[in-house]
Amino acid sequence: MIAISDKSIHEPMLDIFIFETLKQIEQLEQLVICNEKSSCYTQNSINEIFRIMHTIKGSAAMMLFDNISALSHTIEDLFFFLREEKPKDIDCSGLSDLVLEGIDFIKIEIDKIKNGHESDGNAEELTKRIRNFLSVLKNCENPLAISESEKQTQDMRTQYYISQDKKAAVSGKNGYKAILHFDEGCEMENIRAYSVIHNLRGIVKELQYIPENIMANDECVEVIRRDGFVIFMKTDLSYEEIEEFLQQTVFLKELLLTRLDNAEAQEKFLIDKRIVLEKQETLAPKLLKEEVVVSSGQQQSLISVNVNKLDKLMDLVGEMVIAEAMVVQNPDLGGLELHNFQKAARQLGKITSELQDMVMSIRMLPISATFHKMHRIVRDMCKKLNKEVQLELIGEETEVDKNIIEHISDPLMHLIRNSIDHGIEASEERLGKGKPQSGTITLTAQNAGSDVLITIKDDGKGLNRERILERAKEHGLLSKPESEMHDKEVYSMIFLPGFSTKDNISEFSGRGVGMDVVVKNIEMVGGSVSVESTPGSSTTVTLKIPLTLAIIDGMNIKVGKAMYTIPTISIKESFRANERELIKDPNGNEMIMVRGQCYPILRLHERFKVETDIVNIHEGIIVMVENEEDSICIFADELVGEQQVVVKTLPAYIRNKGKIRGLAGCTLLGNGSISLILEVAGLADKR
Amino acid sequence: MKRVLIVDDAAFMRASIKLMLERNGFEVVGEAENGLKGIECYKELKPDVVTMDITMPELGGIEALKIIREYDPGAKIIMVSAMGQEPMVMDAVVSGAKSFIVKPFKEELVVQTLNKVLGL
Amino acid sequence: MAEKEIQEFWEEEDTQKDKYLTFSLGNEFYGIEIKYVTEIVGMQPITEVPELPEYIRGIINLRGKIIPVMDVRLRFKKPAREYNDRTCIIVVDIRDISIGLIIDSVSEVLSIPEGDIVSPPEFSKGYNNKYIKNIGKVGNDVKLILDCDKLLNDEETENLSNL
Repeated sequence: MIAISDKSIHEPMLDIFIFETLKQIEQLEQLVICNEKSSCYTQNSINEIFRIMHTIKGSAAMMLFDNISALSHTIEDLFFFLREEKPKDIDCSGLSDLVLEGIDFIKIEIDKIKNGHESDGNAEELTKRIRNFLSVLKNCENPLAISESEKQTQDMRTQYYISQDKKAAVSGKNGYKAILHFDEGCEMENIRAYSVIHNLRGIVKELQYIPENIMANDECVEVIRRDGFVIFMKTDLSYEEIEEFLQQTVFLKELLLTRLDNAEAQEKFLIDKRIVLEKQETLAPKLLKEEVVVSSGQQQSLISVNVNKLDKLMDLVGEMVIAEAMVVQNPDLGGLELHNFQKAARQLGKITSELQDMVMSIRMLPISATFHKMHRIVRDMCKKLNKEVQLELIGEETEVDKNIIEHISDPLMHLIRNSIDHGIEASEERLGKGKPQSGTITLTAQNAGSDVLITIKDDGKGLNRERILERAKEHGLLSKPESEMHDKEVYSMIFLPGFSTKDNISEFSGRGVGMDVVVKNIEMVGGSVSVESTPGSSTTVTLKIPLTLAIIDGMNIKVGKAMYTIPTISIKESFRANERELIKDPNGNEMIMVRGQCYPILRLHERFKVETDIVNIHEGIIVMVENEEDSICIFADELVGEQQVVVKTLPAYIRNKGKIRGLAGCTLLGNGSISLILEVAGLADKR
Repeated sequence: MKRVLIVDDAAFMRASIKLMLERNGFEVVGEAENGLKGIECYKELKPDVVTMDITMPELGGIEALKIIREYDPGAKIIMVSAMGQEPMVMDAVVSGAKSFIVKPFKEELVVQTLNKVLGL
Repeated sequence: MAEKEIQEFWEEEDTQKDKYLTFSLGNEFYGIEIKYVTEIVGMQPITEVPELPEYIRGIINLRGKIIPVMDVRLRFKKPAREYNDRTCIIVVDIRDISIGLIIDSVSEVLSIPEGDIVSPPEFSKGYNNKYIKNIGKVGNDVKLILDCDKLLNDEETENLSNL
């Protein structure tokens, strides 16, 4: 059996293979988990699972991934049996486990392939177990009952076709013997042979052939490969006509056609030996024409696009925004009266804006796929820890940038594992506390302004302030007296590196390397993590992730020679103040009263160590910024102007050195200089 | 250039076959992901030859073969099957499929089959 | 040697093996394998970025791409020097990380065959020893060949200096 060994086909197909196979595997996983929950496998599901495994078997074989193909084949066989025989009392849980193991194997192999490594995994052991499972099922079935397909094969063998021409002795004046050899690798030579017979039937009077029993598969195929397919026929057609006819056979390597003289012909066609041409009963299900509904119409047209192209498109749109700024804000235009120009510039701005929005929306995907993956995690954890947990999903249609989806998956998995491991109590304990036996984890996604909020809430035992403080003390992580710490501050200590209150380190969590990695991952996409808890009843972790990093409205400000940009959405107001309005607290921190509220002052030149002449409050400007939690007043030299900026992340080299608090990225201004983009949470952070 | 319609539920298979055919001078005029769409496409595009997968959702290859052959007795359809589907391939042959190829297949075999079926 | 001449030189050569870009810091001459070098630019306005080690001066805008720049003198714990019009930035690309190296002045591209490359001696010439991969002999001179990997990735010493 030959597959595509030609490398020039292999490579361009690899991406499609990976993409499609992964999609199918996800579908498969959902099917298994759903069916397992309802503790039986519906006929539809069995069909679908069969089909998916059949497809993966084929594609993997084409790409020469025989390990994946062989495993898929075994599962396909298993589900073929389930489909045809519909056995009762299947061990659903065991079946699901096997299939899920298979899914995991394939996932791992595809991962290797994706990363350019060899797919060298061995699934033989799993394959054996699946085969055993199938044998057990087969033995349980009535051993006397002949399966449908076998029955049909038998039927076939006993049916004959007798030539209409009842002239017994010599019918057809010419006798021929043909030996056909098929090309190597064409496969199913027995069926090809049958095909020849089927076509000959119409034009010759009598036929006999060797091997006779074409449906006996393997032995038959071997015989044909070795000795060729031998046909004896009687016909009125000429040698040339028969030769031409047979030469049309596809994959014919060699044809040996010889005339038979009368004596030989007689020998071959004994009167009492009827022509055995197997009449084929229609094996395929009957076609019900009336029920076939051709469904064309309002289907959503989708195409799949290479992500690189989307990235380039985003970059170009970003550059266009910069270029637009460079035109519209060009220093050459300063001071000129340009009504028509301004009008045209506004129109340009409008179109650019719409273009941005459209490109942005193309990259947005609903978070449902990521959420659904969590079902598997919940299922596995519950099984391993013997707990009962329901997963509730809310807001899965919320859309998030494709880049971000990739960064959310792992943190979510870890948080859910954590919840089940540490948070949710065992069933008896829950019942003892008057809680429902099954714990619930609620995953929510919702839009909040320019961010997406994802919350993971469990109704377990909540966080224990005392134990957290204890652990913090052990690791020397306390920076201020316990009594001064709000609950929220205490709870957020679980995100510190090396922290873990779990006494036994389980395989899943407790090593204390999880939570801080979650935070790092989220911060990498510009987001933040926070946690709340009600001891005894729940814990909620909230991930806040900016909807899009790409283009924002910003206010440029100046400090000395440095330029900064504050996202307009964070700005509450700006004003000039003077020294008399300043208040200093005992620690020397500066504050200012605005309409009865007290706000801390952040001198940018001090925070970022920038040289400037503007140090007196009345010489510079105060910009009040806020997010949900904090409000601060930033002191800078002057406001430069508002513009749309393209957010560029700081170079990887710098990001690797650690998150710089207060900086969300940078941008290129119209004159080519770089402005650092500020973000409130980091600036307000007093650590 | 001979015009081909590819019917297969796996995007990967459609893409593989398309790649092989286009490199050998065929024009792929259409793709369909199940038998129903295959029939529609056949009627609309009237290709010179069709490659038809056997196992597909909605409507399988054998049924689609039969419907297309009723609609156009001269239709040239090549079945794409997997090992172990011998009875179905036989059914297809009896129902008028011109030939068949077995997955996984090499480029040469596909091209050879199409050429032979088209009398090239 | 002017940038332009170096560019032309590159265009003539069609192989990068055994070629090193040499530059000077004070009295010492260093070399970098050409394969790492993407371009050389003159001094540009640098935007400072807070909370970074001293030797990372900040970022520059290179035709739309934002690249961090490192002052190699400071990295080697040499005394800082004011930038003048000979000061250049050598932009290198190592394992997909782009970074600009600020150096006193660029010399020339030299071919140093393998036979003329030797391991660095064990003498402790101060700090920059660990960033030297080996030594290239050119006539009577030596060029200290930089280990670009270590230059970019060496963390331990910073942590020590931050305490």
